Amino acid sequence: MVNTTKNVLPWRILTLVVLLMLGAGLWVATTKIDYTWRWKRVPQYFVYHAETMTNAPADGLVADIENLGEKTRIKFISETDDELFFEIDSTTLNVSIDEDLFEGDHIGSTFEWQAGPLVIGLWNTLWISAAASVLGLIIGMITGLCRVSNNTTLRDLSAIYVELIRGTPLLVQLFIFYFFLGTVLDIDRFVAGIFALAVFAGAYVAEIIRAGIQSIPKGQMEAARSLGMNVPQAMVYIILPQAFKRTLPPLAGQFISLIKDSSLVSVIAINDLTKSGREVITSTFATFEIWFVVALLYLVMTFALSQVISLVERRLAVSD
Amino acid sequence: MIRTVDLKKTFAGRGQIVHAVDGVSAHIKPGEVVVIIGPSGSGKSTYLRCLNGLETLTSGKIFIDGVDLSNRKTDLNLVRREVGMVFQQFNLFPHKTVLENLVLAQMTVRKRKRAEAEAKGRELLKKVGIAEKEKEFPIRLSGGQQQRVAIARALAMDPKVMLFDEPTSALDPEMVGEVLEVMQQLAREGMTMVVVTHEMGFAREVADRVLFMDHGKLVEEGTPEHFFTEPREERAKAFLKQVL
Ligand SMILES: Nc1ncnc2c1ncn2[C@@H]1O[C@H](COP(=O)(O)OP(=O)(O)OP(=O)(O)O)[C@@H](O)[C@H]1O
Ligand SMILES: [Mg+2]
Repeated sequence: MVNTTKNVLPWRILTLVVLLMLGAGLWVATTKIDYTWRWKRVPQYFVYHAETMTNAPADGLVADIENLGEKTRIKFISETDDELFFEIDSTTLNVSIDEDLFEGDHIGSTFEWQAGPLVIGLWNTLWISAAASVLGLIIGMITGLCRVSNNTTLRDLSAIYVELIRGTPLLVQLFIFYFFLGTVLDIDRFVAGIFALAVFAGAYVAEIIRAGIQSIPKGQMEAARSLGMNVPQAMVYIILPQAFKRTLPPLAGQFISLIKDSSLVSVIAINDLTKSGREVITSTFATFEIWFVVALLYLVMTFALSQVISLVERRLAVSD
Repeated sequence: MIRTVDLKKTFAGRGQIVHAVDGVSAHIKPGEVVVIIGPSGSGKSTYLRCLNGLETLTSGKIFIDGVDLSNRKTDLNLVRREVGMVFQQFNLFPHKTVLENLVLAQMTVRKRKRAEAEAKGRELLKKVGIAEKEKEFPIRLSGGQQQRVAIARALAMDPKVMLFDEPTSALDPEMVGEVLEVMQQLAREGMTMVVVTHEMGFAREVADRVLFMDHGKLVEEGTPEHFFTEPREERAKAFLKQVL
């Protein structure tokens, strides 16, 4: 193979040029339409400095102001002689000593960093995907084992489940889980969403596991049985560890899909990354920017997952 | 030690029925080395696989050390740990190191402690002459070495009988000798062995008795001297003419 050693650098440069040209083309296209880019507005939807205002709870008097450095403590005496203390950020002090206040007058504020809708959405997407993955893996393992079992009923049931799930769109399944099961069993929308995703992923995982188990040569099971192991022992010690290694790449693909598919739960009003993105857009009109950012966030998640899995794969490759 | 009575095994596939083993009655005594030979497809492997329950019988009876295998109530796992099996394709566990291959079943099936199982494993590896490879994965071993590990793995369970299904057929010619040597040593130590093989030299030198199978039937049996010099049956004569 002489060809593999040929210089790839010129081609890399060509790739770069093509990408740059595509980018430039996009940029030119957007300047043609009347769109104002507002990238500056984006960061505040990740984290923002939230202001909590402190107002006078009743008519009264500012009795004392004590400066504590960053904070200021205000002693407030209401008309009914209740003594109250407030702590606010010093820079926001809006009253002076002995000042008469009416109910609702602004005394000062405190500022705190808070997670914006995009971070909350990202977090929700992350844990929904993680929960659905774990659940889907469990469902898929059990179903996959049923698929290769000797029991006809187990085989039939698992086959029906897989066919039902693979033959209908996830979006429709989500609606069924939310509107039908959600109502009948009175479950929370998050639970409905996670279960729908898990049941969906489980069917695909089952097929991956089945294929993985069936790809292990028959001689492995026979060798294990000939040593006196029973079927569960042979499965646990011999078949599944080997099958797991082979199923890792397709499983990784499945869980990456799951992260992306989780964006569909936004249709049942779960605050995931996609829904947060949509909400931010309604208040900023920074449509292009937000969708680009949302896409990037999904990419970061899927990329991180595929890196972790390829690390595990390399670990397991020692016996090859 | 092993007794089969009118053992039959049929496979039903694609509309036709194959009588793989067609009424074999045989008796293998403790410490005896029995070699089964016969043309391809004559049912040698199927017969051997019936002996440790890898195939379910169609009819007939098998007794291993007095235990009736054909009885539904018999726990096959209890029988299998007393019957070691060596396969043509080695079937080592590729995700385990050589030593782990020997240790695993000892711990899970015989419930031995790890230290004890490892000691036993090392001792057997030494016996088959590959003590230095205990930390390797099977894929890094030659065919002959892999087969010797497979023999050691079966021996680690302290079986009363060892079954060999063409243990040297998948090996390059130069590795056949090392495996046969290990088997010969086992035979000398008094192990009860049933060996399916095309190695006529081994049959002649090591076997106490030769069984000749054809079309699922036990056609002829006798001592090697008898079998290789003056077989009675026409089919045995024809077969010997081909292989010798
Ligand atoms: N699982 C199976 N399903 C259907 N037919 C089978 C099966 N296993 C074996 N047979 C058939 O049973 C017959 C005996 O096969 P077996 O493997 O026992 O022969 P053999 O004597 O070991 O041959 P070889 O020397 O080629 O290994 C053959 O005709 C074979 O096609
Ligand atoms: Mg065979």
